[in-house]
This record gives sequence, structure tokens and C-alpha cells, in this order.
Amino acid sequence: MSGNALVRILDGNTFVVSNDTGDIDASPSVPTGFFSFDTRFLSKWQLKVNGESLNALSVDDLQYFETRFFLVPGAPTHYVDAKVSVIRQRSIGSSFDEQLTVLNHADKAMDVTIRIDMGCDFADLFEIKDVQQKKGQPYVRVEDGVLRLGYERETFRRETVVSATEPADIDAQGFTFTAHIDPQQSWTTNLHVQTVILGAGGRDLRSNLQGRHGRAKVQMQEELNKWLDQAPRLETDNQALATTYRRSMVDLAALRYTPLSYGGQSVPAAGLPWFMTIFGRDSLFTSLQTLPFVPDLAATTLRLLGVLQGSKLDDFRDEEPGKILHELRYGETAAFEEQPHSPYYGSADSTPLFVIVLDEYERWTGDSTLVQQLEPEARRALEWIDEYGDLMGNGYLWYQRRNEKVGLENQCWKDSWDSISYRDGRLPNFPRATCELQGYAYDAKVRGARLAREFWNDPVLADRLEREAADLKERFNRDFWIEDGQYYALALDTDGSLVDSLSSNIGHLLWSGIVTQDRARSVAQHLLSGRLFSGWGVRTFAEGETRYNPIGYHVGTVWPWDNSFIAWGLRKYGFKAEAGCIAEGMIDAGEFFGGRLPEAFGGYDRGLTKYPVQYPTACSPQAWSTGTPLLLLRTMLGLEPHGEHLIVEPALPVGIGKIGLLDIPGRWGRVDAFGRERVELDRRSPLRELHGGGARPIT
Amino acid sequence: MASPTTELFTGIGRRGHEALLEKVQGSLRFDLEHDQQVDHWHLAISKGDVAVTQEERPADCVVRAEQALFDKMAAGETNTFASMLRNRLTVEGNLRLLVLFERLLPGPPSARHPRPATRGRWRHER
Repeated sequence: MSGNALVRILDGNTFVVSNDTGDIDASPSVPTGFFSFDTRFLSKWQLKVNGESLNALSVDDLQYFETRFFLVPGAPTHYVDAKVSVIRQRSIGSSFDEQLTVLNHADKAMDVTIRIDMGCDFADLFEIKDVQQKKGQPYVRVEDGVLRLGYERETFRRETVVSATEPADIDAQGFTFTAHIDPQQSWTTNLHVQTVILGAGGRDLRSNLQGRHGRAKVQMQEELNKWLDQAPRLETDNQALATTYRRSMVDLAALRYTPLSYGGQSVPAAGLPWFMTIFGRDSLFTSLQTLPFVPDLAATTLRLLGVLQGSKLDDFRDEEPGKILHELRYGETAAFEEQPHSPYYGSADSTPLFVIVLDEYERWTGDSTLVQQLEPEARRALEWIDEYGDLMGNGYLWYQRRNEKVGLENQCWKDSWDSISYRDGRLPNFPRATCELQGYAYDAKVRGARLAREFWNDPVLADRLEREAADLKERFNRDFWIEDGQYYALALDTDGSLVDSLSSNIGHLLWSGIVTQDRARSVAQHLLSGRLFSGWGVRTFAEGETRYNPIGYHVGTVWPWDNSFIAWGLRKYGFKAEAGCIAEGMIDAGEFFGGRLPEAFGGYDRGLTKYPVQYPTACSPQAWSTGTPLLLLRTMLGLEPHGEHLIVEPALPVGIGKIGLLDIPGRWGRVDAFGRERVELDRRSPLRELHGGGARPIT
Repeated sequence: MASPTTELFTGIGRRGHEALLEKVQGSLRFDLEHDQQVDHWHLAISKGDVAVTQEERPADCVVRAEQALFDKMAAGETNTFASMLRNRLTVEGNLRLLVLFERLLPGPPSARHPRPATRGRWRHER
């Protein structure tokens, strides 16, 4: 127990990451600390009892917002002689609260010195990997029973205010308590850590805007119970699936956060620890995954993104009228425009996805009011695709950053610098038109046409969008198809040449519907081929491509969320066995992570490693990984809204057993769906045995 | 010559209707400090119709800043949200209304259309 393991509690964009004794001692490489609104409010929080550090006996995760540590002083060999033990129970919500209890196990009274070292660097989340000289001034004030740690840069001010219920000697580096504890008795204090973001009238910015900041623990517990009660109930004899479902619903609750500009309602934040804020793309994909389960998330996400829709040209933010944002941040680097996240709009897919989610949301819920309310935003999003997304003026959706300094080079979901390359490893010039963007644009036009016809009373727009969609599909199938490989290119370059690598991006074309029927089988075969399918899931990039790397962020790893959409697309084109194969691989992989699928894991062949190798700096929990089991359930049960009804057409892979999903909410009220594994999938069984178990490629 | 702020608000008042605020309902007040005094601009928005007065009336969202900063915002030279995070501009009440109002502010004067110079050069010779 060296304290290397990280323990996390979170509530939206407020979270604590500590070692397994509850201590925080931040270093550049490890993002430990107490964070809120993209700022670290504690970088040091270290407990000593009689001068000794503590060791962990056990850690109990009570709730996503609450943890309990059982500790003893001294080195591990002293355990048996421990006369003192410590219980550290902490929670977060509106503040960070820690109840510290010291127990005397001896038969005589003892005097104990309890020391907590405290400190804060007020690092912006963007500075943590690359710590720079802070431009402002830190300050520390010891006040009456309070330690106030602060940071000031011009009018920008952040403070951490620490207090305790027991008397303490307070100095600039922490609190010292002296306790006299009778035999077999205990001593307790409650430490309270409040964060302040200075706003109007010297009061907290968040309180000024929301009338309150954060929620109390009791309220959080009530809300979690209500959240779980309202979600559909899963009945299955498959333990892995049951575990991952429960885990997902709790993590989704934890990841909800309430942005300042949105009157108290919550949206999914992207992922811990780096992405605890709203991302257009992540929030929209998570909304799609979770629609059959918690449709309100989609509604709040659409409303928030609608309010923040781009309205002007701004090169620094890569903003254009009608564009849906990429990322919104509240930290120092956003405040001083060292980073463009106020908000940043560098994403080419969030805008068509906005229209897609709005349509899909209505199909499930029948909430036409929202479709009416967001009509102006949805229209502007559709206009953006043609006016600002079509950079080359040839009817495709392209991206190229205008913020050359800190803007994103790749503005598709694979947003690392090397994700888009030719087979030979060369990187194409800009702008770039990746294939999945064309799929989203096509789908947005098809769905926008339905909204225009049925809700906006605009048949002229509907006709035009349908014509444009049909034309886009035809051109796309001509311009992106690689004849000798029989798959769609990853992208087009500015010469109209094919960026010819084989990638998971082609999987997204299926759920978008841009693939012609005669080519669907070939796409499905590629996705489940040994080059792309690892045995757990589809790799982001095919084995054999020059830049393939099984632990390369977007060039070989397996991303659960990516796979959930690929499975959904396969299912839409009738490839039930292939969709089931992916679902099964993901559910199996989830077992290795306690039901919590990480952001990504290695693309190593399943037969080689036997377990999924976690990507080194993967975020967990991460919203769209959390949503993955939910979309897989929809896919396996074949749930599809049709008019006022929900169609259920189950196709479960072998080994899944029975699935019952009860009380699925929607325009039909609540309905149940049942499925059991089907005989027709048995033909994959010999393959499973051949490869030593687990889902295998269809060859 | 009128300040960018005065031009902005009188322009909004003159137009009386904003397509970008078509579905918006609510009121905003801007308290702008200069020379030891505070100017007030009050906007009442109802489904895109905007009534502008210079009265210190209650509002759903109250914004306070120096006139000089707001002049820059009105000219597209500084960003509203970043100014708020820096605490140069303070907001009480419904921030959503300020974010919606921000749609009416111009972008940076130097901003350009994202179409690159290469637009139109795309070949299709496959």
C-alpha cells in the first residue's frame, strides 16, 4: 500500500483525486487535488498523527460523492500493534467536507497530535501537465478559526477557505489539533473546505448566478435514488451486464453537472479528470446513447448548446454563426484568453449532431415543444453546414482551424494531431474532410427535412434538404469509395485525393445511413476483420497501416463509445451477428474494469493479452464510455421508435442469456422489452472455441 | 461621436426586433461605470421584440462593468464570457440572458470567413 492508487469522488465539475490514504500531494504528472470549475483549490492535504504518515487498511466508496478511508499510523509492519486508527470520511457537493475520527484502542488515555498540511497552487486544469510560472500572486491569511488560501491576478480571484469544528492551532501551512482521548474512545472533527470564485459584490460568482452553489449531501443522495428509480429496470441472468448497467447509471448521475449559464439543470460532463466540463460532441453522443433510458439529458444538453450557439466570426475561438460549441471552461487560462475555451468552437461534427439529436429526441419522447423552441437554432445549424462547414465549396464538410496557436488541428472526434493519415503514414494538408463528417451531414439533412416538414411547416426547406442529402450520398459514394480495398477512405484531401487508411470511422457511416445497401456488407466485413477487430472491439485504426499503434490514442486503441455506435450502425443495416459480436466484446471487457468501461484500451489482439490493456492516461469515468452499455442494450434489443410505438426486435449474442428491460420511457408512456439469445448466432461458436474463448472476428 | 456602447443600444432600440432573440423572454440591465457615475441601459425582451430604456429598473440579469470595457465589447474587441471569468464584468441573476444578448455583439473586427484561399481549387479527377 504505497499510496499510488488514486481515489476519486466527484460531482459534476467538482472532484477530489487523492491517494489511497486520502492524502493529496500534487505533482505535475499526477492530477491529484480538489478541483472545481477547472481550478485546483487544494494541491496539498496531508494528514499526520503524532508526526507519522498513515497507511490505508481499506477504502470504501460509499457513493460517487463520498468515500471512507480506514487508516493506521506508521509502516505496514506496525499494523498489528496499532493502538490508534483513523477514519477519514469525505464528501463533495457545494464544498469539500472531511470528517476525521481518531480512535484510541489502548486501555489508557492518550494525547494525540493531529496535523493536516494544506496548500494550494490554484493551477488551471490546463497547466497541470505543463506547470508554468503563475502570473498572479498567491496569498495566505490566518483568520479567526479559518485558513484562507488565495490567488489574485488583476481582478481575477480564487480562494480556498478551510475551517474545522474542533479548536486548532492554525498557521499558514495548515491545522494542528491536540486531542486527549480516553481509553477505547474516539475524537472527531469536521473539516470544511469552501471554494470561492470572486464575482459581483465580492460574493461567489456561482451563488450570484444560481442563488446557491452546489448541493448538500442529503440532497445528492435523494437525487441519486430518484435518478435510479426513474431509469428502466434491467433484468438479466448475465452478471457482467447487470453490473455494468448499474455502474453506468450511477456514473452518469455523477457526471451530470450544472453549467453557470443554465438555470439549475444538468448536462453530462465529458470525463474525469481532464474533461469535467461540457463538450458539444461528447455531450451530444452521450445524449444519443442514453435516450431510451434518461431522455431528459438530451433535452437539457440541446437547450444549453442552443443558448451557446455561435453567432459571429471569431478566429481565436474558431467560431462561426450557427456553430455548436466544442468546449467550455471556467479557469484562469480561459479568463485571460491564453486558451480559447470561452467557449471554443473548434469542432466540425457538433453542429450536425445537434440536429440529429434533436430529431432522435423527438422520435423517442414526442416532445414537439422543444423542437419548436429550438427551431431557430436548428435552422442556423443546418445553414452552418453549407455556409461555413463546406470550406472548399464542393458540398462536403471540412475543417481547418483559424486559431493556429492553440486551436485544434483535427476537429473531428479523433482530435489528436496524428489521427488522420494516409496508409503510408503521410499527413494530409488542410482543410480535411473526414468520412464520418459526411455521414453526420447527410443524417442531419435527412432529419432536418423531417423536422421542417412535420414541425416547422416549411415543406420548401424539407424538399431542399432531402435533395441535398440524396445528392451528398451519391457524391460521397463516388468520391470516398476505395475500389480495390472495398471500403470508404478515412478522408479527402484538398486535391480530392483519398486519405486511404482503413479506420473505425467507416463504422459511423452505417448509423448515419450514407452507405448504399450494396456496400454495407463489405463495410461490415472490414469492421469485423482481423485488421480492425481486436476480439474486444473495433480498433480506431487498422493493423497494418503505417501509423498503427495498439496504444496510440486514436491510431489503434479501442474506444468503447466508438464501438457502441458501430454496433448500432451494423444493426441498422441488418448485421445482427456482427453487432452482437461487438456488444459481447464490450460487455466482456467491462468485466475487467468493474463494469466501468474506460475511455479507451489497447488495440492488442484479445488472444495475445487475454485482458483489455487500459490506455495509460485514459479518463474514467467518461461519459460516452458510460453511455456505451446503454446503446448496446438498445442495439441488442432492437429498440426503435415507430410512430407512437416502440418496436422491439431482439437479437442477442450467444452467452448473453436473457435480457428484460422494464419501463422504457418514451412517447408511449412506459413499455417493457424482452429478449433471449438466438440460435442463429450459434455458428460463431466454433470460432470462439478455436480462439480460446471470447468474441472473435468473423472471417 | 457617440460611444460604441451608445451606438449599440440605440441601434437595438431603433430596430426594436432581433431575429437572434426570437424565442427569448426576459430583461437585462447594464450598469456601466465611468467618471464616478453609473449609466443604466435596460432591455426588455419579449419574443425578439426589444425595448431599450436608460432607467434603473429591476431586471432578471444585472451586469456591471466599466464603460470602457463595455465599449470594447460593443466594438467586438473583447469577449464577454472571458471578461466575466476575469471578474472585470460581474453578473447577478440569469446568466443565460447575457449569453443570449451576446449574440447581438459583433465579433472581432479582424475575424475572417473560414473559407481558405484555396476554396474552389478542389479538383475531381478520379
